[in-house]
Amino acid sequence: MNILEGKNITKRFGGLVAVHDVDFTLQSGEILGLIGPNGAGKTTLINLISGFYAADEGSILFKNEDITRMKTSDINKKGICRTFQIVRIFPKLSVMENVKSGLVERKRRGPWKVAFDSLTKPGGKRSGKGRSDERAAELLNMVGLYGYRDETAENLPYAYTKRLEIARALGTNPEVLLLDEPTSGMNPKEQNEQIDLIRSINDKGVSILIIEHVMRVIMSISHRVMVLHYGEKIADGSPKEVYSDPRVIEAYLGGEARAEH
Amino acid sequence: MHSKVTKIILGTIGVVLLIAAPLVITDRYVQHIMVLSGVYVLLAVSWNLLTGFAGQLNLGHAAFFGIGAYASALISMHFHLSPWLGLLCGGLVASIFGGLLGIPSFRLSGPFLAITTIGFSEITRMVAMNWVGLTRGSLGLYGIPPLTPIKLGQGTSIEFTTEFSAYYVILALIFIIVYVVSTLHRSEFGLTVESLREDEMGAESIGINTSHYKLAVFMISAFIAGTAGAFYAHYERLISPNMLSTGVTFSIITMVMVGGIGTIWGPIIGAVVLTFLSEGLRFVEEAINLDIRMIIYGVVLALVILFMRQGLVGVLSGLGRFISRNPERQT
Repeated sequence: MNILEGKNITKRFGGLVAVHDVDFTLQSGEILGLIGPNGAGKTTLINLISGFYAADEGSILFKNEDITRMKTSDINKKGICRTFQIVRIFPKLSVMENVKSGLVERKRRGPWKVAFDSLTKPGGKRSGKGRSDERAAELLNMVGLYGYRDETAENLPYAYTKRLEIARALGTNPEVLLLDEPTSGMNPKEQNEQIDLIRSINDKGVSILIIEHVMRVIMSISHRVMVLHYGEKIADGSPKEVYSDPRVIEAYLGGEARAEH
Repeated sequence: MHSKVTKIILGTIGVVLLIAAPLVITDRYVQHIMVLSGVYVLLAVSWNLLTGFAGQLNLGHAAFFGIGAYASALISMHFHLSPWLGLLCGGLVASIFGGLLGIPSFRLSGPFLAITTIGFSEITRMVAMNWVGLTRGSLGLYGIPPLTPIKLGQGTSIEFTTEFSAYYVILALIFIIVYVVSTLHRSEFGLTVESLREDEMGAESIGINTSHYKLAVFMISAFIAGTAGAFYAHYERLISPNMLSTGVTFSIITMVMVGGIGTIWGPIIGAVVLTFLSEGLRFVEEAINLDIRMIIYGVVLALVILFMRQGLVGVLSGLGRFISRNPERQT
């Protein structure tokens, strides 16, 4: 079953076509790798799916519902969450608070209702011992950061902030997780831990779209790989097929491949 | 447990001292400064809520103060509404304007929002100056009714025309508002609001409707400032467009910065310290016949930003940790 589907998606920035007529599908339970040279439109595609940009043409369907023009926060409530290439954690808040801020209990309540509840049900969720603490602790254990729960997020090493962002995203109970370079800036050992984490998330039934530059990571983790080049899809298939696809090799090694002709 | 008991004891002593203060300090001028610092406490707390917690840089906070004051004064003068209800009306009218100013914040942030808020505040000042038919322009409104006496039956009643009784009114308002704001801050609402300040895109990505939250915080903040304005109008019984000036806004900002931005106690301490300091400087100014107050404010602000980012609260809690020799304890 396609949990996420894009049809003829085009996004222009002035004269630049960042994403051109791209079709894609994400199967339920799948890990789909998204690769391509710098500027290929990978992050733009994630921005389109998560609602940070609106597509100029085409449509994006989540469980057959059109989400093309929805607001980011509403798309998240539907069940899609993303992380960022450069992490966007909350630096001055504690690790625990970072995760709690994403927990789903806020869904479908407006700010006034939240404020009212905050006043009438004291012993608040911020430092109290409510349900959300257990869930947050569980998520922090999963990414191996429980020991740092009271640390201010900005004091974490970089690799840990990436894991924290993933934990925060999981707090929103997504069915689809969009990961934008989750292992960038990591050493090989940290990358391996990150691969294990992503696999274990996938094992719990979360479908994953992952952008990654490290080939070793993408080839070992993806069930299927899609390649973008200058905003167009040039390949889509198993890691092995894509790896030996001449167009992909040319896209990556561009100049040299052409020089041989 | 030990620290909890200490907290309760210190809190009780604090409340008793605050209640007893005007009984001991009977000088009406000092009592007046105490009332005034209470008004600034509300303004500082509300600005801190919007800028310190939610990260929305508002450089036009005086507008809400002035709107609350004019609204309550005009309503009570023309429609003979009880000034007690006027406190509420001033807050409500200001919060409507707060909502209007909140709308541009959906798309603007940082310096762009700051310029918008300055513009808004200047517009309200210009309206107050030039709509003479309604506001009497730069002459200001005078003859604003005071808070009506509360009858205790049998010919006795509590009057609210003195500094002494006004002190208790503002103290009660501060207790209520600080309780509400600090409870909100400690709760899920506070966490969500702080996530806006920390990273708006990050907040939106985890399902926080940042626009709705900004609107709510703008309205709550403006409500508090408007209530402070309404109280001020019925206390001073004379208001002028001066209270809408950017100088008032910058005084509020300095108070919060000096006390400690993004904390509960910072704005309160900053407002009291600087209101008294400012009155003290008035005597110095008279003595040396030079207008140095704003210069000193500017220097203090610069020094705090350079060397004391966390303000007096940061210094005090650092001192507290040093004395108790317990670095693990959280503030």
